[in-house]
Order: sequence, then structure tokens, then C-alpha cells
Amino acid sequence: MFNQEKIYMPVPQQLARGDRMGRGPYEKSGLIEDTGLPPGKMVKERFDIMYPLDEVEENGKTVNKPSAYDLDVEVKLWYLPYGSANSDPFLWREFAQTVSISKGGK
Amino acid sequence: MNKVTAQGALAAALLLAALVVPSFAEKAGIGWKETIAAKSGKARTLAELAKMYDSSSCVECHQEEHDQSRKSIHSRSIYGTARTAMTIITTIENGLMEEPYSGVKSPKDVKVEHLMGCAKCHLPQLADAEDSVARELVSTLYGWKDALRKKDKAAAKKAEEKLKSVTINCLICHNRNAITHKWQDGYPKAGVVYGSKAGDHPSDKFPKMAESPIMSEAIQCGQCHGLGPNLELDEPTQCCTSYGSYLWVYKAEVGQETCQECHMKNSKLGHNIQGYRDPAMTDKAVDFKVEAFGYHWRDGAQITPKAVVKVEMLNRSGHSIPDG
Repeated sequence: MFNQEKIYMPVPQQLARGDRMGRGPYEKSGLIEDTGLPPGKMVKERFDIMYPLDEVEENGKTVNKPSAYDLDVEVKLWYLPYGSANSDPFLWREFAQTVSISKGGK
Repeated sequence: MNKVTAQGALAAALLLAALVVPSFAEKAGIGWKETIAAKSGKARTLAELAKMYDSSSCVECHQEEHDQSRKSIHSRSIYGTARTAMTIITTIENGLMEEPYSGVKSPKDVKVEHLMGCAKCHLPQLADAEDSVARELVSTLYGWKDALRKKDKAAAKKAEEKLKSVTINCLICHNRNAITHKWQDGYPKAGVVYGSKAGDHPSDKFPKMAESPIMSEAIQCGQCHGLGPNLELDEPTQCCTSYGSYLWVYKAEVGQETCQECHMKNSKLGHNIQGYRDPAMTDKAVDFKVEAFGYHWRDGAQITPKAVVKVEMLNRSGHSIPDG
């Protein structure tokens, strides 16, 4: 229901000019920006994931109720040396937890 | 009469020697004629280049370092994981052959100078070779690729082994690239192994040891693991940028350790110099902390529950991750 990727990398500038990203070493000669993880600096990310809702009838009213109260959350940090998950991907770190919300309450 | 004949033969022999040993252009510094390359003359074949920097005798006494280095990708620096070899081919086709002023219309036109964008780091000793070696290297790369396409495993393996015959081996780090400041420290000499000690070295081929002033310094690795674009080339390239990141971010704001301290000593990998392919490096490189919780978010009367996931990553290495 939710899938978001963030890419951390130096973004090479094609032939050190303009706004085009380079790819092969032969055309990389600068950086457009660098979103890589710098040494010694904390990089923080925050994901806000809304629970899926269903419209249900309750006491004659149409209200929104969560269609699930438990979400399985996975966060994975991949190293993709060739920029693609299809080529020598390396799973560096991962986190998994079920996040639950209360069913009762006002 | 006999004496004149003898002199004539000697002159002919010297002339012959001058013809078969391709020479290097004169350098400004003193002592460059004592280098392996200057003494050998430029290699004309891959086999000659492999022989010029043959370090196979090192294993006789340095078995552990040999075994370690064989596990490192330095020991197959042109072939890599096959991806390096493919990227060199891509560089020829999408780079050199598309560049209008490169002089390369087909792979057969490739010269040493054309390959130095890759070879500066993947095979620095290629600078000590004739253009015939560049052509042989290129034809081997294409032969390997063609064999893969035809599913000819034997031919592919043969070409792969040829590509692996020239590498970043003992002599590249402990001789050829062991001195960066050659006008200050002198040129690396043939017959000398550079490391942490000076003195005699029990080897017929390398009877002397000498101290390399940079062997334990980051610049030793920085020669290849780059500052960014190689602007000294007629057509600059850019691969590694980790030495630049090390200098301007890590050294400037974070720490004082060298490449060797993390990648060789603290990791206990020694000459099996690794990056992300070894847990000894990856386990220490990045702190990864995630916190997740849920609550009922309320916007006026509208209740929309949500999960919040907070991620913190701290790069504990000496350079940006990734680099490039």
C-alpha cells in the first residue's frame, strides 16, 4: 500500500556542463548534486504512512474506518553498485516491525 | 682489419638494441631511467607487460599477503566482476567512438592514450606499453564478449584469464606507484621493493628494500581512488571520488584515520582490501537506526491514522557512500 524509494548518490554531470546527468565514466566530469551519505554526518528521513480507510455505515452515518489496524513496516538500505537492483545488489541494512494502532477510544 | 670488423658488429648490435626496445620520452627529473619501465623499454604485448611487472616470485616468502591480495578485486582490476570489462567496452563504443575528435572510428583505432581514462586506475602500467598492447587488450575484450555471446565457455575463460594476467599486483603498489613525489623522493627503482623497511631483500629479482614515504598514507590509495575528474587527460573521465571526499569532508570535519587503517588494519583484512563486498567493512561503515510508531492523526473531525517511520543513518567511513 505504500512504497517509497530514496536515492543517495553523487549525481554526475555529463561532460561537466549543463543539466544532464552522465552515466559512464567517460562522460562524467562533475556533479550536479550529491545526495550521498557524507562521512560523519547524520542523515535523517521521515515517512508518514496513512492507514488505508474504508467507508462504513455506523449508527446511520457513513464514517471512515481503518481497513487494517496493523501495518507491517519494512525499511531496507540497499547498495546498488551499478545503479540497478538487477545488477549485483547488496542489502546493507534492514528493519522490520508491525506498527499497530488502538481499536477503541473516542 | 679484424678490429674494424669487430667495431662494426658492435655498432650494429647497439643499433639493433635501439630498434627493439621502444624508449620513453625524456623526463625532466633525475633517476627515471632506473625505473622498471625505463629499464625494460615499453611493452609490446600484454605478455610483455605482465612480465614487466611480474610479481609471481613474491609468493615464495609472502604467502599470506599473496593469498589475501588474490581475494581482492585489485587482482582482477581490468576484468573486475566482468562489469569492469564490459564498461571498458562501453567506454570505447559510447565514449571514444562517438567523440568526434578522439580519432577512434572503430575499436582497432584505440591507442594507449585512449584507454588511460580507465587504465589510470585499472591498469596504470599500461602507460608503460606501446599502442600494440592497447590494441591487444581491446581485441581480447571483444573476443571475450563475443565468446560469451556464442556461449563458448572455453574461449570466454581463456580471454578472461588473459585479461586477468595484468592487474594491480604487488609491484604496482610496492614499486611503480610507491612514490608519488618523484622529484623529492626519487623515482622507484627496478630491483627494489618499497614498503616500511630499508635494507637487503632476499630475492634475486628484487635484492633491495626501501622505505616508501607514502605506503601507509592515504595518498597511496588516493592515486587511484580519485579526486574527481581526471583533468590531466585530453578527455577527462570520472570514476572514483572517494579520495576527494576523504580530504575535503572526512579530514576536514570528521577524523584522521587513513584508508589503510580502516581497509587493511582495523578490518584485519590485510592485503585483501575490500569495500562493500566484505562484512568487516560494511558492518562498521553505516549506523542504521529506525523507529516506527502509529497513532490516530486528527484533522478537525476527520481521523486518519498513520504510521510514522523515522530513519537515521550515520556514515562512519572516511568517504562519501557511495562515491563516483
